[in-house]
Amino acid sequence: MSSKPNKSINLYALTWRLPIIFWQFIFFVGPVLFMVAMSFFLVKNYRMTEAFEFVNWSKMLSRGYFWDSYWYTVTIAAISTICAMCIAFPAAFALAFRASESTRRWAIFLLIIPFFTSYLVRTFSWFVILSENGVVNGILGYIGLGPYTMLNTNFGTLVGYMTLTLPLVVILQTVTMANIDKTLIEAARNLGCKPLATIWQVIIPLSKTGLIIAAIFCFILSFGDFVAPFYLGGSQETTLPILILDTTKSGQQWPRAAVVAIMMMGTLFAIAFTGIALAYRKRKGQK
Amino acid sequence: MSAPLVVFDKVQKHFGKFVAVKELDFEIREGEFLAIMGPSGCGKTTTLRMLAGLEAPTHGEIRLNGQVMNDVAPHERDTPLVWQSLALFPFLTARENVEFGLKMRGVDKAERKERALRWLEKMGILEFADRDISTLSGGQKQRVALARSLVMEPQILLLDEPLSALDAHLVIRMQAVLTDLQRELGITFVYVTHSQSEAFAMADRVIIMGKGEIAQIGTPKDIYREPANQFVAEFVGRNNILSGTVESVSKDTARITTPSGEFTVPTNEVRLIKGNKASFVISADLVHIAKDEPKGGNKAQCKLISEEFVGSMVTLFLEDAQGHEFKVQMQERELSKFDLKGGDKIWLSWDTQSAHVLNES
Repeated sequence: MSSKPNKSINLYALTWRLPIIFWQFIFFVGPVLFMVAMSFFLVKNYRMTEAFEFVNWSKMLSRGYFWDSYWYTVTIAAISTICAMCIAFPAAFALAFRASESTRRWAIFLLIIPFFTSYLVRTFSWFVILSENGVVNGILGYIGLGPYTMLNTNFGTLVGYMTLTLPLVVILQTVTMANIDKTLIEAARNLGCKPLATIWQVIIPLSKTGLIIAAIFCFILSFGDFVAPFYLGGSQETTLPILILDTTKSGQQWPRAAVVAIMMMGTLFAIAFTGIALAYRKRKGQK
Repeated sequence: MSAPLVVFDKVQKHFGKFVAVKELDFEIREGEFLAIMGPSGCGKTTTLRMLAGLEAPTHGEIRLNGQVMNDVAPHERDTPLVWQSLALFPFLTARENVEFGLKMRGVDKAERKERALRWLEKMGILEFADRDISTLSGGQKQRVALARSLVMEPQILLLDEPLSALDAHLVIRMQAVLTDLQRELGITFVYVTHSQSEAFAMADRVIIMGKGEIAQIGTPKDIYREPANQFVAEFVGRNNILSGTVESVSKDTARITTPSGEFTVPTNEVRLIKGNKASFVISADLVHIAKDEPKGGNKAQCKLISEEFVGSMVTLFLEDAQGHEFKVQMQERELSKFDLKGGDKIWLSWDTQSAHVLNES
């Protein structure tokens, strides 16, 4: 709200804003505050009791399995981000620079369609494709390869992450690059820049902000995803979301699960803020 | 005369079914300042882009120093272009922008920097070398864009309406900067513009294009005084076009009857045949005005519609009884002697030799 006392509050605008403010407080700020409070509660005889003890924090953060899980999740989410950004780039590049306006519009429409179906359903369809007697191994069998184990591995987890993130990353990258002023690419060519070199010299610097935001989205989605590591990764490795599930199931340890959740949120905040700061970083000499 | 630097040999450019350039046949001489001028969509920018290799000709050949350029990629050409939007890289500083081309050509870091700074100094913007492009003014950006192209030490510099985004007073300043640079460096400038004042102020030769074809090539003076046809005459503006029927033809002159009266014109090289249609132009600055009817000669009575001041020059817009528009250009102090108001009736007159008969085409 306005800090100037002489500026009257616009009641009309406020009325329109109220629902979203209300919603955010009830369903986001409230639960987060409750979760933070809960991380200090105690569990006695499988029942949660209000308290203010640091025992959950010290227990969780001193356990090796927590940190194993933490670094595994950070690493696999980072790998997922790198994979998604690299796989998406050629597609987005082609859509942004080679495709016609109408092709691009159709492609973006088709990329939105996966979001129509539940992510869970899309994940399960991978069973048919990736299992030992699935489609991929069937085809590889014809040329005398395999069968390979793809389900219940890191590879399976990554396939799941790609299912979740790739359409979004392609869309974000395409929109970013399609908005580049094409004259700048021509100017680079005019000044002796080889066609492929324009990607490093001009296109990536110009679309830096959009590319970083696409990467942040990809990391956040992968980091917090439960479905891919649980079903396609087969819980072979415990990611933080799986750890939360395990913790709540074993002995009703909701407070310790809250500790894990707060650690995850802290990490995501740090990554998102660093990323956005990088994306909008002003160069020296800029005012 | 030395061999031409650039030759356009029956060059055509089609975009699908649309013909942007019908057929171009012209030469660019070494060291000249050539302006290509025409209304939007006349193919002037396409012509320039073909020279830079950003568009490939559909038919015909473009030769630079005798070498056919059709299949030479843009990055392998030495034809830097200054863009209408300037196309400076927003993620680089002024100096890094100027260094870009040298970097692409593999010039080492120290030399790159030295050459870039030398050019920024030459353009009078050395103090902004490490500033970001977004913090520079329009005129400063313009100079960075020029430096970025000229640092490559090209034989030929292409300019695509580079001044169209500038304020009027800056345009005049940059025109002087450009002509000085061109004279000093002795390199060829090819300057595309839709502005007659820019083209005529700077160029040694002007090409007027219309609908993908060359309408006229000549010095600014030729084009202004002796437009080749009606299209050029109308495009150049600031002149009076009269059309009618040839009444009689004598040795050097002819009489032409128009709705605005009967006038005597010099025949020049145009062959006039009695009874045929003919048009002629008189430059607006060659028309005299008088309150009283002049005796004899070419004259027309008109009503003053409006005045337009540009600096000390004023253009009068007038209409005769038939509604035909006339334009007269004169010094403002000269006009003030007449004490005219809108709607006043005055007489226009001009010397026979001031008229120029147009080719019908």
